[in-house]
Amino acid sequence: MRWRLTLVMVILGFYTMFAAGPFAWVALMSVRTTTEITANHYAWPKTWHWEKFTEAWFGSGYNVYFQNSTLVVCSAVLVLTVVGSMAAYALARYRFPSNRTIYFILFSTIVFPPQITVIALFQILVQYGLYNSLPGLTLVYVAFQLPLTVYILETFFRRIPGELFDAARIDGYGEFEVFWRIALPISLPAISTTVILNTILLWNEFLYAVVLITDESKRTLPLGIQRFMGDQLEDIGMIATGLMIAIIPVVLIYAFFSEKLIKGMTAGAMK
Amino acid sequence: MITANHQNVSQRSPWGAIVTFLLPALVLYIAFTAYPVVRTFWNSFHHVLPKGETFVGLENYAELVKDEFFWRAVGNTLIWSLASPLLEVGIALLLALALYAKVPGARFFRIAWFTPVLMSYVVVGILWSWIYNYEWGALNETLRWIGLGNWARAWLGRPDTALPALIFITSWMWAGFNLVVLLAALHSLPSEVIEAAELDNCGWWGKLVYVIVPLTKATLLNLLVLSFIGKMKIFDLVWITTKGGPLWSTETVSTYVYKRAFEWNTFDLGYPSAIAAVWFVIVISAVLGLSWLLRHGEKLEY
Amino acid sequence: MANVKLQNLGKRYAGGTQAAVCDVNLEIEHGELFVLLGPSGCGKSTTLRMIAGLEEITDGQLLIDGKQVNGLPAKDRDIAMVFQSYALYPHMSVRENLAFGLRRRKFKLEEINRRVVQASQILGLAPYIDRKPHALSGGQRQRVALGRAIVRDPKVFLFDEPLSNLDAALRVSTRAELTSLHARLGATMIYVTHDQVEAMTMGSRICIMNAGRVEQVGRPLDVYRDPANTFVASFLGSPPMNLMQTSVSLNADGQYLSLGSQFVNASGLMTRLATPLTNGQSVTFGIRPEDISLRPGSPIEAEVLNTEALGAETLLLLSLDGLPAPIRARVGRDERPAKGSKVGIAVDIDRVKLFDTTTGQALP
Repeated sequence: MRWRLTLVMVILGFYTMFAAGPFAWVALMSVRTTTEITANHYAWPKTWHWEKFTEAWFGSGYNVYFQNSTLVVCSAVLVLTVVGSMAAYALARYRFPSNRTIYFILFSTIVFPPQITVIALFQILVQYGLYNSLPGLTLVYVAFQLPLTVYILETFFRRIPGELFDAARIDGYGEFEVFWRIALPISLPAISTTVILNTILLWNEFLYAVVLITDESKRTLPLGIQRFMGDQLEDIGMIATGLMIAIIPVVLIYAFFSEKLIKGMTAGAMK
Repeated sequence: MITANHQNVSQRSPWGAIVTFLLPALVLYIAFTAYPVVRTFWNSFHHVLPKGETFVGLENYAELVKDEFFWRAVGNTLIWSLASPLLEVGIALLLALALYAKVPGARFFRIAWFTPVLMSYVVVGILWSWIYNYEWGALNETLRWIGLGNWARAWLGRPDTALPALIFITSWMWAGFNLVVLLAALHSLPSEVIEAAELDNCGWWGKLVYVIVPLTKATLLNLLVLSFIGKMKIFDLVWITTKGGPLWSTETVSTYVYKRAFEWNTFDLGYPSAIAAVWFVIVISAVLGLSWLLRHGEKLEY
Repeated sequence: MANVKLQNLGKRYAGGTQAAVCDVNLEIEHGELFVLLGPSGCGKSTTLRMIAGLEEITDGQLLIDGKQVNGLPAKDRDIAMVFQSYALYPHMSVRENLAFGLRRRKFKLEEINRRVVQASQILGLAPYIDRKPHALSGGQRQRVALGRAIVRDPKVFLFDEPLSNLDAALRVSTRAELTSLHARLGATMIYVTHDQVEAMTMGSRICIMNAGRVEQVGRPLDVYRDPANTFVASFLGSPPMNLMQTSVSLNADGQYLSLGSQFVNASGLMTRLATPLTNGQSVTFGIRPEDISLRPGSPIEAEVLNTEALGAETLLLLSLDGLPAPIRARVGRDERPAKGSKVGIAVDIDRVKLFDTTTGQALP
């Protein structure tokens, strides 16, 4: 049935345009000046103004926002990976009385609406002088993504056959060495999934950043972009370029790790 | 039979190792998640001002019940949380079925459809506020182009269209995600069952209702619940686009909590904490209720 | 090479009502290939793991070379274990897998290399010494697991169902290889399996376990011929030994045992018993299928319920009048009576085993 195939292709085409169109549009706008854009919002760029990127980077402070985001996200993901993998390992491989309770509590946190913690976190950070600081935000981010990280890694650690650990114990390896030399190397796929997931989710995080950061110099990328939105005269060209700066890292990660990322994000949903 | 020689040796559970592994995570969790939850509940029974706290019992909760803005926000959020899942999953299901057949270049398409999910809500919000722009936004331009110019609106600027417009945005974002998941789920179904249905002369609709939906029920329900939870929490998108306006038509519980805590000049953190506490209980109950329902669904064998 | 002694060994799990292993007494000699055989859940693997040090011993004592090792951690017991699923470190090459345990014990590099080379020569691992486990076939992986144990040069080798994950043909050839390996190394090996054929062909001695207890220990053929109780009798042998109720009939013209409504002359058997039986006493009669033959004209008659011609032999399902359950017989390949026909059968009385009806113990 030829018409069936054509219908399918048409639907595919439309949906792809629908899903990816807006991004293509931003990408194009990012290299056009605001004047050009106001004249015609949908034209193909006549000249490709790559200098807008340098302008945004140095002139509009995007370099600061980008650096802040990178700092916070990288530190948070590093801490998350170390702390999360250790906790997941302990929960998956050792039997002790409160094991399942702890796991359940950690796991159920994924469902919590952030409002339940955001006000108190504000109070706590102010109290300890961590308000409006990147380290403070990093710590909050670690706690925020810990449940998901532990959940993904625990499932994976659980699946490692017990005999592997028995063999290592007979070979004379102590608890921490077994974790470090056996469990971690084997679980590299799962760990990289959590690293990618955490990086993307934290890179895009907005609510906690809005509440806990007010200094211009400490803003993360999402906050920085929002600031431009607030201006009366929308400098669309600049905003578009800024958006691209925010999107590009994600796109790069996505380009290299798409399969892994898709699998990681959809694995929990599929039964 | 136990003999007198009971030799008990080194503990099987190496406590030292367990504690070392778990402690950092638990400390972080307690400090930045568990304690804040408790603190929020504590706040909800107080007036929490910069000067200090005063215990007020259930006064905040009483005020909450009478707060029309709160109830408006709840209404909006619930509408969102109930409509969105149906839209996102329904559309995704139909698309998945249409595309289930032979899809050339499937990998490329998956990647393209997944893109909206990865973008920050900030980026998405800005993009769509441009698309919805009255004068030059893509939506209105397209309408004018195909001759339906009088349908053009200031989508985000009118109380009656703002919320639906936002709901449409999230559907755009998440339909792709659901689509990818459902396609994977469909492909994991044994093809014999679908072939059997075709042999039984089911027809397109029959096949859908009697064969495919029941078999993918678990995945469908998962996606619906995930979507529901996500919309109950939503903040970023609203904050970037409409900030709850116009006229409270897009106010969600999360934006309202933020406003009461950080933007109103009462500086009282107790009242928004009460709102957060109530909402927390509602969300948890909803999730528990839904999972109870799901667990009592039948298990299907194939 | 070592001697391993289990004295009243037991394992009880916290909160468990029944012990997984109860009161096991075994002495495994230097250089023996000692097999622990039994159905799943009988406690054989748990016993092995207690010897290895992977399970805590809750009761009794474990001695290796006369020294008590209950509290000694696994790595200090000088044992090596080959697991059912091989447990190879997936992220290391074969060479690294072999060297891993030695490195930990701070052997000199040259010594490590020497041992690795030697093991790989014995097992033929050289062609894939640098590959990772996922690039190896099941049989190759199993050899690497063996190699890992050999390089350790331990006092005792422990095997936990090492052949279960191999396909049938590979299992047969590997069995022979393991036996020759044992002969070559002369090492003490304790081998757990649920497969009778492995036990019968490989073991110097076998130990049948059931529900955490030792049922019988001895050389394979001895255990086969003289099972200590009905469990051992019906566990070993395929098809299993026929067991049926019989009553003693002592009268003027001889000593008989009933087979349903018929009788078999049991004079020779009776005289061999330690305690003579009384008239009318009820005992359990056990005879293996291969000890029943067809003899036309025999006073004992049976009806053929089913004939299975296997090519090399024939299995018959026979019904004797008065016996509630049918019995099986193993006869020659050319003896294929038709279904429903009546045949005369003979029972080799010298091979009959009698068991106490209540305890199941063999009557000596």
